[in-house]
Amino acid sequence: MLRRSLLGFAATLPLATRAWAQQAPAEIKIGHLHASSGPFASISMPVYTGLKIWVDETNASGGAYVKAFDKKIPLKLISYDDQSSTATAATLYNQLITQDKVDILVADSGSVLTSVAVPIAKEHKQFLFDPTGTGAPFFVDNPWIALIADPVSTIWPKYIADYLNDEGVKAGIKTVAILYSTNDFTGTQANAVRGFIKAAGKLDIVYDQGVPTNTSNYTVLINNIASKSPDAVIHLGYVGNDIAFLRNLQDSGQKFRFLFSIYPGIETEELLKNVGPEGLKNVFTYVTSAAYEYKPEVGWTLEQFRAAWDKANSGLNFGFNSIAGYTTGLVLQETLKVTKSLDQTALRDAVFSLSGKLNTLDGPFVLDEHGGQIGEITPLGQFEVEGKEVKLNVVYPPALANGKAVIGK
Amino acid sequence: MLTGAIISGLMFGLYFTLVGLGLNLVFGVMRIVNLAHGDFLMLGSFAAYWLFTLFGLHPLLAALAVLVVFVAIGLPIYYGVVPRLLIARDSEMLSIILFFGLSQMIEAIASIAFGTNERSIPGRVLGSGPVSFLGQRLPSAWVFGAAVSAVAVAGVYLYLYRTRLGTLTRAVMVSREEALATGIDVHRISAIAFGIGIALAGIAGVFAPFMLGSVTPAMGADINVAAFAVIVVGTLGNPLGTVIGGIIYGVGLMLMQTYLSSWANLLPNLLLIGVLLIRPEGLFGRAVRRA
Repeated sequence: MLRRSLLGFAATLPLATRAWAQQAPAEIKIGHLHASSGPFASISMPVYTGLKIWVDETNASGGAYVKAFDKKIPLKLISYDDQSSTATAATLYNQLITQDKVDILVADSGSVLTSVAVPIAKEHKQFLFDPTGTGAPFFVDNPWIALIADPVSTIWPKYIADYLNDEGVKAGIKTVAILYSTNDFTGTQANAVRGFIKAAGKLDIVYDQGVPTNTSNYTVLINNIASKSPDAVIHLGYVGNDIAFLRNLQDSGQKFRFLFSIYPGIETEELLKNVGPEGLKNVFTYVTSAAYEYKPEVGWTLEQFRAAWDKANSGLNFGFNSIAGYTTGLVLQETLKVTKSLDQTALRDAVFSLSGKLNTLDGPFVLDEHGGQIGEITPLGQFEVEGKEVKLNVVYPPALANGKAVIGK
Repeated sequence: MLTGAIISGLMFGLYFTLVGLGLNLVFGVMRIVNLAHGDFLMLGSFAAYWLFTLFGLHPLLAALAVLVVFVAIGLPIYYGVVPRLLIARDSEMLSIILFFGLSQMIEAIASIAFGTNERSIPGRVLGSGPVSFLGQRLPSAWVFGAAVSAVAVAGVYLYLYRTRLGTLTRAVMVSREEALATGIDVHRISAIAFGIGIALAGIAGVFAPFMLGSVTPAMGADINVAAFAVIVVGTLGNPLGTVIGGIIYGVGLMLMQTYLSSWANLLPNLLLIGVLLIRPEGLFGRAVRRA
């Protein structure tokens, strides 16, 4: 009896194995949007290109290993151009989910173009791999999202406030001005930094204004800030905002003792080309993985990725968003290695299981319970001018510092 | 802050006069809406950027080069497109559709050709440090922008009121049919006006990297909205009314940035709606356009 059962089991095993193999898809479809034109092209195209480099590299080695099928499966990247339009993006996200039926959905870069993906993915119970959309509302009451490649904006600016409350106060900083672009990304950062400063109670906020994200001239705003005589100025905007702000600041001749701006540290090459070394001199900024070398346990090092980026010859400046695209690919790779199936709930469980166990060239990957990234927090840095080049020193927190901050008089 | 906002607005507004001037000239002469105006401005910006980057050409010289080249480009575009539009029953509406398509094409081609990175020209090229004006510190680029705009307005004025071609142009502006009946070569006059119109956009573009921080192939749409606000306030079809429209736009924008900064991008739309509701003919109305 036992022998007959064993024989029967043995006879059905090849059939079962064949059925298992048949379930494995011929390819894994990764749905993504990018903006080849419009105001967000400069942050979107590097993410897309970084992700594409990972896809090409993975396919060159036979595909991504998927634990659920115990085999390598080729990847197919389906990426549509939303032209920086949220309306177009909404249509295309729907198309990726309902028409293309992608296995994995990756949002476009930045909070503005991610904001329309969040409700659509949630409605369809499609897990959203969010490369760089850091707006706080995305992670409220939403189990269908994880922020992959940069910290959630509610905690990202913590080191700015900590530095000002700590070292800044010792150096005589008493008053702060905050100028921000009114969008999910920088609006959330402004709320966070304002909250940190107010909670510490050591500094007075003497100017606190939002401006539309398409603002391209800051001369009057800078003069208005100067009229309040703040010791520290925190400007929170996108690439174009930072370029216009820093150029107008140079042209106006105004000086502030402490000046923080986001994108000099994120897209340094682009800012350097547009603002020049003098415009970045002593500017405080985030030190991203483009300027701070983490030791990756998975994927390329910064140097190796930079070489691959140059080889791809995309014509785009290398910066943090390039790394964000590649990091997103690495997280997908590790997710597929552990997921039990391509079901969206299984993908979600797989991503969260990586939290605290994954180190890439972008730093430690750690998610909070809402899917917000809390591991890849960027230290605070300051630019030092060396001839026509600039050097970005980490100045805070002390444990990571490799340079000493210079606060103006 | 109020004085600073007003003075800055005056200077900034003079630049936006230049931004809107060509659009208004084209509408005034041909009664067509050039929705690609902002894209021609963008092309002027990239021309200045490349001329500076490759040959170190000063923006003022770049502006002269752009003037010549863009007039030359404008003539064949006019003859290829506009005469067919003008014989249509609803040429204004058709022109909006056609030039919208042209705008999309220019942006797409520019994105492919130039990439999506932000570009700019160092501010020091137009003088280092701020300039003191009525107690306010203004970027020297603003002074250049305002001065070039003033020269352009004066040039358009002299062209319209002190040359034979200008007299013929004004005749076409008053009535195309009557001008045709009196033997005026309407297409030749219109083609020159079209060329001058996009050349003015190109010249405004040369100074855009200084006035707007940086330029990208996608900047045209925002420029169009601002340019429309300027010319609707200053009266559609009246090139010289654009000066008042530009100044109102500039001062309004700076006041909004000072007192209601979060809502500043509503200004062009508020101006458009306000003028269309209260005084649809613009501040100068019909009488000035016929002068």
